[in-house]
Amino acid sequence: MSLLEAKNIKKVYKTRFGGASVEALRNVSFTVEKGEYVAIMGESGSGKTTLLNILAALDKATEGTVILDGMDLTNVKDKDVARFRRDNLGYVFQDFNLLDTFSLEDNIYLPLVLAGKKHEEMRERLDKIAGTLGIADLLKKYPYEVSGGQKQRAAVARALITNPKIILADEPTGALDSKSSDELLALFKEVNKMGQTILMVTHSTKAASNASRVLFIKDGAIFHQIYKGDSTDQQMYQKISDTLNLLAQGGDLK
Amino acid sequence: MRSALYPKIAVDGIRKNSKLYVPYIATCILMVAVFYIMHTLGFSDMLSNFMGAATAKDILGFGTFVMAIFGTIFLFYTQSALIKGRLKEFGLYSVLGMNRKNLGKVVFYETLITWAISMTGGIVAGIALSKLAELGLCKMIGVEPVYSFDIPVGSVLWTIVIYSIVFFLIYLNAFRQVRFSSAINLIRADKAGEKPPKANWVLGILGLAFLTAGYIIALKIEQPLSALAWFFVAVILVIIGTYLTLITGSVLLCRILQKNKNYYYKTSHFVSVSSMAYRMKRNGASLASICILLTMVLVMISSTFALYCNRDQTIKNHYPRQINASAMRYGYDPTYPEIAERLEEGITAKTEEYGTEISNAVAYYDYSMVGYYQDGKVDLEINPMQNFTTVDYDNVVQAVFMDIDAYNTITGENASVDAGEALVGASARIDIGSAVAVGDESFKVRDRIDDKMSILNPDMVNVVTTLVIVVDDVDEIAARYADVVDFTGESMISWHWRYLFDTDLDAEHQIELSGILSEYFKAEMENMSHVSKYVASQEEQRSDFIMTFGGLFFLGILLSIIFLISCVLIIYYKQISEGLEDQSRFDIMQKVGMTKENIRKSINSQMLTVFLIPIVIACMHLAAVLPIVHKLLMLFGHNNWPLLLITAGVSALVCGAFYAATYKVTSNAYYKIVS
Repeated sequence: MSLLEAKNIKKVYKTRFGGASVEALRNVSFTVEKGEYVAIMGESGSGKTTLLNILAALDKATEGTVILDGMDLTNVKDKDVARFRRDNLGYVFQDFNLLDTFSLEDNIYLPLVLAGKKHEEMRERLDKIAGTLGIADLLKKYPYEVSGGQKQRAAVARALITNPKIILADEPTGALDSKSSDELLALFKEVNKMGQTILMVTHSTKAASNASRVLFIKDGAIFHQIYKGDSTDQQMYQKISDTLNLLAQGGDLK
Repeated sequence: MRSALYPKIAVDGIRKNSKLYVPYIATCILMVAVFYIMHTLGFSDMLSNFMGAATAKDILGFGTFVMAIFGTIFLFYTQSALIKGRLKEFGLYSVLGMNRKNLGKVVFYETLITWAISMTGGIVAGIALSKLAELGLCKMIGVEPVYSFDIPVGSVLWTIVIYSIVFFLIYLNAFRQVRFSSAINLIRADKAGEKPPKANWVLGILGLAFLTAGYIIALKIEQPLSALAWFFVAVILVIIGTYLTLITGSVLLCRILQKNKNYYYKTSHFVSVSSMAYRMKRNGASLASICILLTMVLVMISSTFALYCNRDQTIKNHYPRQINASAMRYGYDPTYPEIAERLEEGITAKTEEYGTEISNAVAYYDYSMVGYYQDGKVDLEINPMQNFTTVDYDNVVQAVFMDIDAYNTITGENASVDAGEALVGASARIDIGSAVAVGDESFKVRDRIDDKMSILNPDMVNVVTTLVIVVDDVDEIAARYADVVDFTGESMISWHWRYLFDTDLDAEHQIELSGILSEYFKAEMENMSHVSKYVASQEEQRSDFIMTFGGLFFLGILLSIIFLISCVLIIYYKQISEGLEDQSRFDIMQKVGMTKENIRKSINSQMLTVFLIPIVIACMHLAAVLPIVHKLLMLFGHNNWPLLLITAGVSALVCGAFYAATYKVTSNAYYKIVS
């Protein structure tokens, strides 16, 4: 069974006064296997962030189901949604979403504190990942004292610390310079090698070329997918660029 | 079209920020209304028809002045908070191409609109409420209200003038804030990362020291006169102490809480403690302000309430009988006994002539001297007026010599003393050994009569420490002091005669009788130099007392309402502006997995701390200053400690209830913003 299964997802936005409705997603279906590193690509407005929000239970699909590890997200009650997210998902945001009132350490602890974990346990879990993420020396600092790349690594630590079933990343390199982006992508790869499932939304070809599979989304529907297989990052980059070109020219691969 | 743009933006600005503007305008209306009410009551002719109205009018006139100053400061404070929340909006206008002059226009129209609404609302509400307040005041000071519907134009004009000036100042201040910041600063005003403040031990300890010093003064003071001198010192120490302690102490507290991992990393504490630590510098100041305001309310209400409730007792303390005749003269005169006899006979005759029976009569005289009490001796050489230092007031005593016969008459006892012996009573805790000396004369203490002090010397007993010395033959003792003079060469001893009695007359006739006796008194003692004399009837004094205490209580209530509302608004603004700041934080936390229930809990934990700290400290302050307030009330002739405790308790409860309601409303508003 797949770890994550999205079936016939449809999302319709209505304008406030119930007039025109906009279809952000039409009939999107795909699956993610355990240990996979999947990138979803698409232009701005293609619906990829909407999709990610639905997968993260931040938003509700108009139609369709999302099943994570056998649990149907659409059946999770409103009041349990936050808890569900905390226990099963790790989310990495484009603009980090670190709280400036907390030190990096406390930011990372936040989901565990919300889950009511003991301090010793949090400490242990952080010790395990801090080295890999290269933030061991930064823990006492506040978000505004560190660089964007460092912030994002802290945010990744926050997503990882709950041992989530899947990490959802929304344009994780979007606010980073190229060096920091490279470092972050290397980090994702490493985390993925350790067995962590990652689903990333991006419009950066470079970021996507790190993934083991790339889904293309256009006008609210899955348009194409590419497996990396044994290709190198460069070859993958080339494949993605070609696909994007086709997409831009309005071609049809199916 | 062009000219209508700025008013339109201003109206929009107010409407879109109604969450902030509604309470602000409500405050403005209230301030205007209260000013108007006080001015009407204090300065118009409404009260002048009543007897003794002068006192009440003076108090209200003073209140108006206080009100104007407080109102200005407070509106300034809220308005700056309001503008701060909107700097981003102004920044956007500025990016869109408005220059500073244009922004100034927007601010101008906004102030103009607020001014217009506040003035109209305030004066209309003021006129309506002043009728109500008038009835309340009349009831409190015990006069018949006059029902009329004329609007005092003077008060309306004054209100408009004063508050227009206030609004103009507010406008200038807002303009300054908007003007002196660049577009980019305006936009990023609320984004800047702020380093959490470091705990400052030195200031914290200093604050505690101030607080302790204030408390010690408040608790240690024994004497009403020194209370008067030290009260403001204590108040200022406590205020500074509160500010320092809360500003640094709260940071410190948060730091300590954060160090305690097991406490800090709990779901309900984590968010609230860290965001409090983050804002504590700002928080501390406003918490301290709230705390001071609350303390003021509690002290004001409990003391004026106690004065008002105890008015009958206070009158009795001052004027024990219906008719109270008294005469006082400096220096020794061997004819005093004869004068006393003559006056008593004369007054008795006049009273009987008026057609009433004298009952419950006491007539006596005593001699007194003021000196400095040290080691069992009243030193007449050290003159307290000459060597004035405040602390010394605790040791300044009035030694009162009384004849054993007078003592027996007043107390109804049958005591006796031998020559060289005395019954001794002191009104405060001073050490008295086996003998007491006054100047060069020493008396063996035969018995202590401390428990009789309040009947022996009712009007003086509370103000200065009084030492009553009951001797065998008072005239003989007094003669020994005939030559003792103070540094100006005046004789130190003074003679005080009293004749107190009840009659079977009604109030009106009692007042008439006391007038007749006054006339007689004046005529009788015309050829006697340096004598102060008066005849007072309880009834005559009653209206004056009620007027004073009623006026004070009324003013206390009015000021308390205003202070309380200010507290509420400070809290409300603080929480709403924090809520707006926290909106994005709670948003992030919800994404990370914070449930609605977590949010509720964390808000409650934060609110409870923010709300509890000031009221708990205010109650502590109240408890600490109550003794000194008690001493001060003695100056008004109020000596009812249990009543003061009760009124303090009642005021604390009422404030607490009011406060709890605010807490509920504010935390709901906060919750609505962040979730």
